[in-house]
Amino acid sequence: MSPLFQTLLLVGDIIFLLLIFVLVKRNRLSVRFSLPWLGLSVGLLILAIWPEVAKILRGILQVEVVSNMVFIILFCFVLLVLLILCAVVSDYNDRIKRLTQTNAILEHRVRQLEQQNMQNKTNK
Amino acid sequence: MNVLVIIPCYNEAENICRVVERLKSVCPDVDYLVVNDCSTDHSAAILSKNGYNYLDLPLNLGIGGGVQSGYLYAVANNYDITVQIDGDGQHDPHYLHDVIRPIAEGKLDMCIGSRFIKKEGFQTSFMRRVGIRFLSGLIHLLTGEKILDVTSGYRACGREMTEWFAQHYAQDYPEPEAIVSAICNGYRVGEVPVVMEERQAGVSSIRAFKSIYYMIKVSLALVIHRLGATQKGK
Repeated sequence: MSPLFQTLLLVGDIIFLLLIFVLVKRNRLSVRFSLPWLGLSVGLLILAIWPEVAKILRGILQVEVVSNMVFIILFCFVLLVLLILCAVVSDYNDRIKRLTQTNAILEHRVRQLEQQNMQNKTNK
Repeated sequence: MNVLVIIPCYNEAENICRVVERLKSVCPDVDYLVVNDCSTDHSAAILSKNGYNYLDLPLNLGIGGGVQSGYLYAVANNYDITVQIDGDGQHDPHYLHDVIRPIAEGKLDMCIGSRFIKKEGFQTSFMRRVGIRFLSGLIHLLTGEKILDVTSGYRACGREMTEWFAQHYAQDYPEPEAIVSAICNGYRVGEVPVVMEERQAGVSSIRAFKSIYYMIKVSLALVIHRLGATQKGK
């Protein structure tokens, strides 16, 4: 790895880490969802500081080129995150449905009580 | 026995009055609840103006979420039997007591009004019949029960079934899924013959371009339901 590329990787990764911290700090990203991204940026930081780690991993996994291995790992990571996000969206969909239904039943109850109230007033 | 008729309504401004008035005149002994699924036409205004009993969903949930609101309402208000009929006027309330009877007699937990037993009245288009026959075959394969009109929205449920559906009900195209989940959880499901009419005005929610998605989604959901559940006896 050339020193220039290593420096770029380091700077890019630090910006990425800072961005995650800023988002969490400003309540734009919950700590729960920041964890996989923090994990990813720490992993990239390790690779940027000690490129040998990538070579050792390549040896273990028997991949010919280091960059291919990095791409495969990143692609799997993104796929996993997308799947988890779909599960989270499904869960929220269910919660919104429940909330909508409860809201409608409450609104019906309020309407009924208002009508009763009106009738009571006119009877008096 | 107190009975609640749930009428899901999405953009049925042209039909809903007729449906409710017909139900009230034919079956004055039952309560009804129209579930307005955030219609974009003036359905809500019509319901309010006529003083009908209705739920007004603040977001569009689809037919499943709408009907499930009705089941939640039935549980909260302690109804013995709930009947679901479509808001488009296809379902004749004269058959209401036929659909309720097996539930009231304790023979079934869910009773479906089927247009294919006697094959009378509106039989829907050829392609839809092919689709329905396929789903019926799939349900037969998965559960061993022979149900002919699996997409019929004319169905009655007993108290336990209503409580179950109030907690578990698919959000879009729920009818076939509801049958499989009911059977897999040990409820008894059956059919009685009814005569259906063509929708009186407006457009159906299932159009041609959606039908492929419909078939794939429903078939997959049925198989997943079956895989996830061990059939219980009751």
